[in-house]
Amino acid sequence: MTSLANFIIAEEPYYRPVGNEVAVFEAAYRHRLPVMLKGPTGCGKTRFLEYMAWRLQRPLITVAAHEDMTAADLVGRYLLAPGQTVWHDGPLTLAVRGGGICYIDEIVEARQDTTVVIHPLTDARRILPLEKKNELVAAHPDFQLAISYNPGYQSAVKDLKESTKQRFVGIDFFYPTADIEAEIVAREADIDLTLAITLVEIGRRSRHLRGQGLEEGASTRMLIHTGRLALAGLGLAAAAQAAVVLPLTDDAELREALTAAIAACLG
Amino acid sequence: MLAERAPSERLAAALRPRPALDAAFRQGWDALAGDDAAERWAAAVLALLHANAGAACLMALLRLHANPATLADVAEHVTEICRHAGAGAAVNCLDAWDRLRLPGLWPGFLRLSREAPDDLPTLAASAASIAQAVGGSGFADFVALGLKATGRDKLRRAAFFALTDPLARRALAHGEGSGFAIHERRLKLFATALWGRPPALRPLPAAEGRPPPRRASLSDGVVLLPETFPGVPPAAQAALYRASVAHALAHLLAGAPRQPVGSLKPMQLALAGLVEDARVEALAMRRFPGLRRLWVPYHVAQPEGVTAPALFARLARALFDPAYADTHGFIVKARAMVAAAAPFDPAASRRIGGLLGNDLGQARVQFNGRTHVIEPAYRDDNLGLWDFGDKAEAPPEMLDLMVEAARVRQEAGDSGTQQQGTDAGTARARPVAQPAQDSVLLARYPEWDRAEGVERPDWTSVRAVPAVLGDVRRLDAALDSVPDLRRRISRLVRAAKPGRPQRLKRQPDGMDLDIDAVLDAEIAREAGELPGERVYRSTALQTRDLAAVVLVDVSESTRQGNVLEIERLAVTLLGEAMAALGDPFALLAFASDGREQVKLTRIKDFAAPFDALARARLAGLAPGLSTRLGAALRHAGAEVADVRSFRRLVLVLTDGEPSDIDVPDPLDLVEDSRRAVLGLRARGIDAFAVVLGTEGADNAARMFGRSGYVALRRLEDLPARLSDLYFRLSRR
Repeated sequence: MTSLANFIIAEEPYYRPVGNEVAVFEAAYRHRLPVMLKGPTGCGKTRFLEYMAWRLQRPLITVAAHEDMTAADLVGRYLLAPGQTVWHDGPLTLAVRGGGICYIDEIVEARQDTTVVIHPLTDARRILPLEKKNELVAAHPDFQLAISYNPGYQSAVKDLKESTKQRFVGIDFFYPTADIEAEIVAREADIDLTLAITLVEIGRRSRHLRGQGLEEGASTRMLIHTGRLALAGLGLAAAAQAAVVLPLTDDAELREALTAAIAACLG
Repeated sequence: MLAERAPSERLAAALRPRPALDAAFRQGWDALAGDDAAERWAAAVLALLHANAGAACLMALLRLHANPATLADVAEHVTEICRHAGAGAAVNCLDAWDRLRLPGLWPGFLRLSREAPDDLPTLAASAASIAQAVGGSGFADFVALGLKATGRDKLRRAAFFALTDPLARRALAHGEGSGFAIHERRLKLFATALWGRPPALRPLPAAEGRPPPRRASLSDGVVLLPETFPGVPPAAQAALYRASVAHALAHLLAGAPRQPVGSLKPMQLALAGLVEDARVEALAMRRFPGLRRLWVPYHVAQPEGVTAPALFARLARALFDPAYADTHGFIVKARAMVAAAAPFDPAASRRIGGLLGNDLGQARVQFNGRTHVIEPAYRDDNLGLWDFGDKAEAPPEMLDLMVEAARVRQEAGDSGTQQQGTDAGTARARPVAQPAQDSVLLARYPEWDRAEGVERPDWTSVRAVPAVLGDVRRLDAALDSVPDLRRRISRLVRAAKPGRPQRLKRQPDGMDLDIDAVLDAEIAREAGELPGERVYRSTALQTRDLAAVVLVDVSESTRQGNVLEIERLAVTLLGEAMAALGDPFALLAFASDGREQVKLTRIKDFAAPFDALARARLAGLAPGLSTRLGAALRHAGAEVADVRSFRRLVLVLTDGEPSDIDVPDPLDLVEDSRRAVLGLRARGIDAFAVVLGTEGADNAARMFGRSGYVALRRLEDLPARLSDLYFRLSRR
């Protein structure tokens, strides 16, 4: 049996609050209301949850949802052992039994019929039926469910069911304001603040192109990567090209325009 | 005996009575100095003489210097042109060639001399602009385009070769690597990234009777850019456009309101503009220091020259480049004044400009507002800075410029609103805004020119025409008359519909154990037999991910034998099936009336339901006009390309015979449609045709490929076959 103790976050993760998200999460946790973190990629959703898990001293079990994920991947399944079959709890069941925070990242990536397994957990019942094992697991009093999703880029096919959506308390994430973002980039990439301010300026240029050919602009994470590349001795233009422009788009004209806009930010 | 003498001797004999020509000939002959091509040259000159070319033409040819073979070629071409278009035109061509020295000019000249000799002098005069835009190699193609596009319309042909016709200008703008159209998207993206919102970038049209604009213009938030920067090589145009847009953005970022002209003289206005340019650039560079790299290559003034243009250029550089050393009193003073001024105050620019203008006026520096061209080239004409107020008080040359600017502004405003939202555009379709009487121009598409073997950009205009609502009841009655067919189709729908995920038992691999299979395997193992290995269970979801556009041919030919009636019924049945399946689809009807009028009637959009309204539109379709299939295919492709779907399909219902009133040879359109189908396939869009009657089958095979069409011998089969076909296609 996997012990939940392994999932306790020992050291305080760096998180810079940008709004009232900490208060909202704590209020939701007090009543064990499931939480939904919305926002573009790389703006700190996952880091926020790590921080909250550390703050509340609960184990955090993260599941990255994907298209081939089945309900069994969440709740568990029978596996073969010599001469018998043995039940293995899935990550969700683990958190439900042990009272952890289960975080399903990018939940819309999973198929809708998979995500309905969380329904009995997210209303007043707070139970997880293990249909194959013929067991009803009542949730530990400390169990909390959190999901994240990025409303920007999925098609209509990949949207949450209305019946799923309405079970959650929402916290909206977006890129922080320029000065806060610079502070975050400086701290995470271990670079000085003036460089971080330039990087944030670059990031904002790319975010202006959202909807003009870019699905999304450069995330804070990308800017941190750029900063790290620069710290490793790469020129800033080359670092931005490698960590921002190339990953963002394959469209040659867009690349050219973005490169030119970035060049305009660099002295 | 005479016939056996060499052409040079005969020419010499013929020229003997005309001393001036004779002397020129002897010089030319000596220059050729016995080259192999010399006799060929002499023969051509002799032929020209015999063609009654006249002294001017002969002299122009004889005085030309080039290598012998080229000279002989040129002489032959000129002779040929002279025969068709006369000596005057021949001289014009010769001059144009002499200035540009591009061999690629001759095929174009020769062709026009044969087909439209009247326009040859015009073409020769425009040759430099054409060659600059499309290169020597594109010259003949440009001529072919003009001849084809204007047909028998002499006035339009003259306008085309004088480069005042919009098509001519568009063709030139499409030339290799230069022209606003090529750079438009990049510039727009660049500006959006910097500025935070998409700027209004528009081409700056040339005014009637004026040379094409050479500088950008900024007018109430609209950035007007020249179609091309004259005299700038194509490779350098991209950088210049970018610098130009960055400068316009600097103005926009500074956001200064127009200032009254007041009593400022043209020179003072120009200087105030220059100081203002420096001010907004300095502000922009505070925020985006890298912009300096864009602009610095254009500041090349040296501390020399005291004419107005030289001083202006020196001042521009002095205010831009702190490292630039210039000890001229005027420059030193201007620098000091600008340094002392508040950087956020546009009124200071006006004040400084006024003072500096006075200084230059006292120093008797001559300034001509009419010929003044803003330097460096990336800066705009600064007309957007000023409020001219009452026109009567403005100086005449400024008034001249202002009227032009106002005209341009109005045009930009007119087209501005309609271009929004269409920019996401598709492939090479360029949305254009100019409403016709009752139809909306959706896009222009290229067409394949079979004779020339090139694709003509923006050749066809696809327009949306509003649908007419018809009587649904007749259509419903027709539906009710085929109950068996409807039942069969709904069975097909049920079979194809994505249901619940299907459980697959006893699989070789899977996510779950199939407990029954495991038990069997265990039993087998205990019994000493070979256990089965297929002990897993998995699920398979039958997903449909198909989007389709159904194109219905409603041209005149569908009037005969109730073709349209049956098409209607078939499409209704298919529409019902697709709606029940949940496949996104659009229904479009098309007919054409020449290349400018490819009419599309929208019966159903992807987003709209297939409801009574859509059926009423279907019922309201009336036959008429022709079948320009290629344009319709391209547009259908552009629409379906925007739909997120794994498979995309364009399904065409036609009688298989593309034709149009302005295309004499239907094969042209067959070939164009073939290219359109290939273009769709290249973008991952399947195109399939249902051909009514067997006559169009050969064409259909050519356009859609052997397996890309089905020909129906009996029209009555269509309703049943169309839906069957759709199911077959959607499984493929």
